[in-house]
Amino acid sequence: MTKNLFLSAFMLFFTFSGFAQKVEFTEYDLDNGLHVILHEDNTAPVVTVGVMYHVGAKDEAKGRTGFAHFFEHLLFEGTENIERGEWFNIVAANGGSNNANTTQDRTYYYETFPSNALELGLWMESERMLHPVINQVGVDTQNEVVKEEKRSRIDNAPYGKVAYSTGINPYMFDKHPYKNSVIGTMEDLDAAQLDEFKAFFDKYYNPNNATLVVAGDIDVDETKKMIKSYFGPIPSGEEVERVDIKEDPIEEKIVATEYDSNIQIPLKALVYRTPSMKDRDAYVLDMISTVLTDGKSSRMYKRMVDDEEIALQVLAFARSQEDYGTYVIGALPLGDTSLEKLTEVMDEEIEKLQNELISEREYQKLQNKFENRFVNSNSSIQGIAGSLATYNMLYNNTNLINEEIEIYKSITREEIQEVAQKYLKENKRLELDYLPESNE
Amino acid sequence: MKRNIITLIVFCLVATGMMAQIDRSEMPKPGPAPKINIGEPKTFSLKNGLKVLVVENDKLPRVTASLIIDNKPYTEKKPGTSSMVSALLGTGTENISKDEFNEEVDFLGARISFGSESASASSLSKFFPRVIELMADGALNPVFKQEEFDSEQKKLIESLKSSQKDVGTIASRLSSALAYGSNHPYGQYTSVETVEEINLEDVENAYRNYFVPENAFLVIVGDIKKRQAKKLVKKHFGDWKKATPPGTSLPDVKPAQYTQIDFVDMPNAVQSEIIAQNTVDLEMKDPDYFPVLVMNQILGGSFGSYLNMNLREDKGYTYGARSSVGSSRYASRFRATVGVRNEVTDSSVVEILKEVDRIRNEDVDPEKLEDTKKKFAGNFVMRLEQPSTVASYALNIETNNLPEDFYETYLEKINAVSVEDVKRVAQKYLKTDKMQIVVAGKGAEVAENLENVEFNGKTIPVLYFNKETEKIDKPVFSKKIPEGVTVETVYDNYIKAIGGKSATDKINSAIMIGSANIQGNVITLTRKLTKDGKQIEEVAMQGNTMQKEVFNGDKGFVAAQGQKMEFTEEQNKAKVKTAGLFAELKVPEGIELTSIEKMNDEDAYVIQVSENVREFYSVETGLKLATENTVEQMGQTSTTTIKYSDYEEKNGVMFPMTLSQDLGPQTINIKIEELKINEGISNSDFE
Repeated sequence: MTKNLFLSAFMLFFTFSGFAQKVEFTEYDLDNGLHVILHEDNTAPVVTVGVMYHVGAKDEAKGRTGFAHFFEHLLFEGTENIERGEWFNIVAANGGSNNANTTQDRTYYYETFPSNALELGLWMESERMLHPVINQVGVDTQNEVVKEEKRSRIDNAPYGKVAYSTGINPYMFDKHPYKNSVIGTMEDLDAAQLDEFKAFFDKYYNPNNATLVVAGDIDVDETKKMIKSYFGPIPSGEEVERVDIKEDPIEEKIVATEYDSNIQIPLKALVYRTPSMKDRDAYVLDMISTVLTDGKSSRMYKRMVDDEEIALQVLAFARSQEDYGTYVIGALPLGDTSLEKLTEVMDEEIEKLQNELISEREYQKLQNKFENRFVNSNSSIQGIAGSLATYNMLYNNTNLINEEIEIYKSITREEIQEVAQKYLKENKRLELDYLPESNE
Repeated sequence: MKRNIITLIVFCLVATGMMAQIDRSEMPKPGPAPKINIGEPKTFSLKNGLKVLVVENDKLPRVTASLIIDNKPYTEKKPGTSSMVSALLGTGTENISKDEFNEEVDFLGARISFGSESASASSLSKFFPRVIELMADGALNPVFKQEEFDSEQKKLIESLKSSQKDVGTIASRLSSALAYGSNHPYGQYTSVETVEEINLEDVENAYRNYFVPENAFLVIVGDIKKRQAKKLVKKHFGDWKKATPPGTSLPDVKPAQYTQIDFVDMPNAVQSEIIAQNTVDLEMKDPDYFPVLVMNQILGGSFGSYLNMNLREDKGYTYGARSSVGSSRYASRFRATVGVRNEVTDSSVVEILKEVDRIRNEDVDPEKLEDTKKKFAGNFVMRLEQPSTVASYALNIETNNLPEDFYETYLEKINAVSVEDVKRVAQKYLKTDKMQIVVAGKGAEVAENLENVEFNGKTIPVLYFNKETEKIDKPVFSKKIPEGVTVETVYDNYIKAIGGKSATDKINSAIMIGSANIQGNVITLTRKLTKDGKQIEEVAMQGNTMQKEVFNGDKGFVAAQGQKMEFTEEQNKAKVKTAGLFAELKVPEGIELTSIEKMNDEDAYVIQVSENVREFYSVETGLKLATENTVEQMGQTSTTTIKYSDYEEKNGVMFPMTLSQDLGPQTINIKIEELKINEGISNSDFE
């Protein structure tokens, strides 16, 4: 068959030198401590203005879970110069779109506009940083909205407690605030008082705890001047003390059952605690996920879904975070396969990774997949802006946007085996039975 | 043809000296709008009818290819057949096995996927020649094998089962079926049963009939030149045999006759999914297309729209409310969609209708209209960041029979939309008198309030459906019984509620005499009850006994019109459990707490006493609310319910002083006029 000829011809091209897509950027600090990153790309008349604050769910006080995310909602309510309810209208009337999101580690706000509205975007984000209006009306309305968000995203969503880790993290963390969910509990949300919100703002929403990113069709010098005008006068705040809580290692297998009323098919999940996303091992685990479940020829998919037909779906993913991460390997049974059977097969696949090197061909496949992922990761201005801010704030290395691929390329087959041995241990994991809850 | 397909001439921000001093109380004005030139893809056709569009863009070293077969939709004989076609494509061809295929696609870091009438591939440009060859091979030379068929069928069935509890899926299924009819391609849905009927031959036929080049387009975007693309396409798609899909006609889509709520019960729901909809006759080429786009944007197209500002920002009912108006060539609908918490389901329906009414009857604020137009302009500019936009615009022009300058004049047409236009198209396309308001939610908590939804002074009828989109009678909605509640606790609470065991201990028998007026005739009811489980119920009219039921603790009979009928063994067994005074003091074998249901607008624990008898106890007060008897006579089932109310205290115990029974359209209320405790009963009464 001609296919083989093609294949060998392609083998010759497997070289990994030089991508012509380096993301150029400049970065600097304002006097008030605001870190600024600028990326100029004039190929399309689009600009993204984003501000990332180094505050997330893990910074919340005890009994105030969900506070950081709630606060994200509040900061759309208005500022001294932007009336309540006008934020979204202003963005829309200028042809833009905007959003925000909160994780355990940080909160990110952004607008994407046609590039002629760059100044508007800077004005809006500086308004939010300088003097947002935080009042009871806003707190009351957003309290209801956030509860609806929780219902639609988690409570009414199939496998919601796995997708949002609310059925996982309480088992994986004992001391670290990662044990709480980002969206929090309804009780805590109801208990939060207006004064606490104001204090939260004063503590965390200062220029010295934030990174401003402007990407797209800009003129760097002009943009610098505008940034100075809009953000320069914002006073800096006290230095923020970072969460520094060490977890004791998990020494004994944790067995747990969670129920979900939105599902019919159970899920078996094996969950491991992993190091900070900055750790090289976190990158290696990313590659392990790919070996196990990315694509139809991946090990778990091919064996469990295709060949043995014991699983409807398989999954393996890392939830990367600043202090610790979690690593989930799981499967949905097909037909009357038992969850024990799924565990048995997943264990065999894990052992295989621990006992044998992956093949040369699998290694090559990984390299191709990560190269493809890298090329696609920087395909939109909005995406580039988010990545620049994240690499700067959480990894302390903005240039990872260009260098990360080098880390993946340098990972060896031996390292993959070592990391599988080091982290994927049976006595260090959660075995979760995620079952349908009957209510009919 | 132009050498550069996409020329974006951008006039950047005008630099001025204003930066020195800013006045932040003034919102900055945007600079001059960036000028754009949409450009167009390079095109060519193959002899078999395949039309190819190529957008050259070398910003990133990657290429994507999408094969789109633009056939007219058709109703499937066995719904799910097309899903099976798409699942089986890619599981082996005449040239390559499934495993080798998957392995190579993954090895190249590529993505290839197949639909029943489509295929797509993406990869780094250096691997693209092989990737498009694999995609073409998978799409054009498939071998459908029984073994793969069996496996995919099993998976499809399993995934259909898995979505049965997904509120969104069920709401969307019902809304499609109701809008278009279940015999329309857009309205029919795939079920476990229909998938079980499908066989390999059906899949082969569907593939052979519809996977043909007559209406096919191949769109290639990325780091590739037309010359190279043409070479690859000719080589890999040149042998695709020319063929035309079977002609089909579509069933008529009829509007609803009147505005209605269409409810489907989802006992697991913590939010109700609401879809308010009506079908519309609108195509992209219609002059109304642009006014409708603008109108919908104002009503529910964005965060600042009428719907979202009301339901989310003002009321806090939802995380988001949106609307859309379709413009398919075949059939489309207007839809307003929102997920709300259970308690506010009925209020949300009202608010949605209010906002639809508002855009139909009120002039839109001209400033809001202008802002909306700017949003379209901004979106239009921003969409061009993705090179694939150019291709999809060209494809739309071709498939929707649009004028060549459709997108060049797009913003002009948006800008021409007036305040009057918005109102006019709202009245024309949003049919508040023929709207289907589909609600998927937890019946036990939301259905009752939905029955009382009024709009413009009229109550909106509620129709009930099952998950299979079939119309059904109003179901009984039951709530989940809280943990720890059992027959014992319900009975215990009842005894506590009527006065406690120390009070009931002092009562051994009771006689209740009451009367009711039925169509001018006074009837009298006499009930004699003893604590050792005996009871008599006698109905008389003007002194003449009409019916008498006697139970002596073991056996009983009914006497009516001079005839006496002994209870059957079954009836005696059932009667033992409930007869007499305070039967709840003992918990007999074989009775069961089954659910929480509504009884007289009150939540009640339901105790199944025997196959035909259920008793209701208030969740709130603990009091007994009703006894329900189901009788089967000559194949007909009828239910009589006796309700207890107006509890009053006598000798330290609460007795119901009104007994009522529904008889046809009217309710008979028997008021107890005489209540005698521990007197007037002798054993001979029960013989």
